[in-house]
Amino acid sequence: MTKILIVEDTADNAELARRILESRGYETVHAWDAETGLQMAIDQLPDLVLLDLGLPDHDGLTLAGWLRAEPALKDVPIVAYTAWPPETAKQMAESYGCNGFIEKPVTKARDFAEQVQSFLKK
Amino acid sequence: MESTVNTAIRLIPAAHFSVEQLTDIYNQTRVDYLVPMPMNAARLLEYIRTYDVDLEHSLVAMQDDQLQGVAMLGVRDGRAWLTRLGVIPDTRRSGVGKALCDALLNQAEDLGIHFQMLEVIKNNAPAHTLFLKLGFYEVGELLVLRRSPIIPPHDPVVADAQRLDRAEALDLVAQDRGTQPWTNQSESLSNASEVSGLRVTLVDGSEGWLVYQRQKFLLSRFAFKTQSGDPVNMARAFLSHLHHQYPRLDTHLENFQVNDPHLPAFYEAGYVESFRRIEMWRGSPPPSLVGNEK
Repeated sequence: MTKILIVEDTADNAELARRILESRGYETVHAWDAETGLQMAIDQLPDLVLLDLGLPDHDGLTLAGWLRAEPALKDVPIVAYTAWPPETAKQMAESYGCNGFIEKPVTKARDFAEQVQSFLKK
Repeated sequence: MESTVNTAIRLIPAAHFSVEQLTDIYNQTRVDYLVPMPMNAARLLEYIRTYDVDLEHSLVAMQDDQLQGVAMLGVRDGRAWLTRLGVIPDTRRSGVGKALCDALLNQAEDLGIHFQMLEVIKNNAPAHTLFLKLGFYEVGELLVLRRSPIIPPHDPVVADAQRLDRAEALDLVAQDRGTQPWTNQSESLSNASEVSGLRVTLVDGSEGWLVYQRQKFLLSRFAFKTQSGDPVNMARAFLSHLHHQYPRLDTHLENFQVNDPHLPAFYEAGYVESFRRIEMWRGSPPPSLVGNEK
C-alpha cells in the first residue's frame, strides 16, 4: 500500500488530509513536528511526504532540506502543504528540494487527492 | 501587578503563566496568519532567554476568563523591546492590541526606560498604524533571509580563515558594529548557545570576521564586520568558508539591514528574501545603543 507521511501541527488540517487520503486507499502516518517527521521518514520510508511549512520546532523547509540530504529519501516526493502565496510557496519549495506544493485550505477533496496522486506518478 | 484597562479587559503579568500556556496563547494569536510561524515551548523559552524578555513586565490580556492576546517586553540597558504582540483572531479590532501596547509602554516607563524598539512585518498595515499612533517612528527596513542547504557551496575564497571560539567571537561582537536591531545586538549573541566565529584575512590584506550560532540543523544569528577592505569581497570569503564547512545546514538570518554593504555577497551565495520588516523606535536612543558597543 502506498504510504504517505503527513507532517502537520494543526489537528484539523492533519485530520482532513488523513481522511481524504485514506478514503482513496492510501496508508497514512502522521508527525506533529519536524524532528519527529524526520525520524518517521527515516524509519518508515514513505512513498510521499506531505509537509506543512509552519511547524513548531523547526520550519518545514528546514525539514525538507534534511529529508533531501538523507540518501534513502532523496527520491521520495516532498510536497509542501501551505497557505503561503503561490509565488512564494513555489520559490521556497523548489529551493529546498520539494517536488511542488499544494495550497491550503483544502476546499475540494477530489482536487486534493488528485494533486497528491500527480506527485506520486512523477 | 494585575491591572484593568477597562471593565472588560484584564492584563495579567505573563510570569503568572507557564511557558507552555504562553506558547499556546501565542500560537492561537497566529493561527490565521498566512505564515503562522508557530512555536513550541522549547523555542519560546529560548526566545525569552536570548532576547532578555522580562515576563514580569510582559502581559496576557483576558476578558471573562477568555484569552484575548499577549505582548512581551524585552529589557536591556536603557532600552526596551516590544515583541510577540498578538491578539486572538475573534477579538481583533476591539482595542486589545492597543491596550497591551499602552500597558507595555507604561511598564517600560515604570522601569525608567524611555526608549522602546520593535519590528513590524512590512505591509501589516493595522499594526504599523497602531505603532505610529503610539509614537513610534520608522528607522529602517530589515530583511529576513534564508539559504537552502540544497545549494552547493562555492569553493572557498583563498584566504586565511581562523576559527574563533565562543569567547573570542563574543569579544568581537561587543565591538562597534553600528546600531543593530534588538535581535542582533551583542546581548542576543551572548545569551545564545553554540556561538563561534571565523576571522578572515584576504590575500590583499583585507580583514574581517563573522560570528554565528551553529545548532544541530541550522546556522543563524550572524554578526559580521569588515575591518578593512571591500565588504562584498569579505562577505564572499566568510560565506564561502562557512558554507563549505557546513554544507548540510539550513541558514536563517533575521533582521539584516537592507542597506548593509555586505548584502550582494549573500545573494550571490544563494540567500533569498523570505519577507521584510520595518524597524521602529520610540524616544531617543540611549548611549548604550548608539555608543561604542553597538
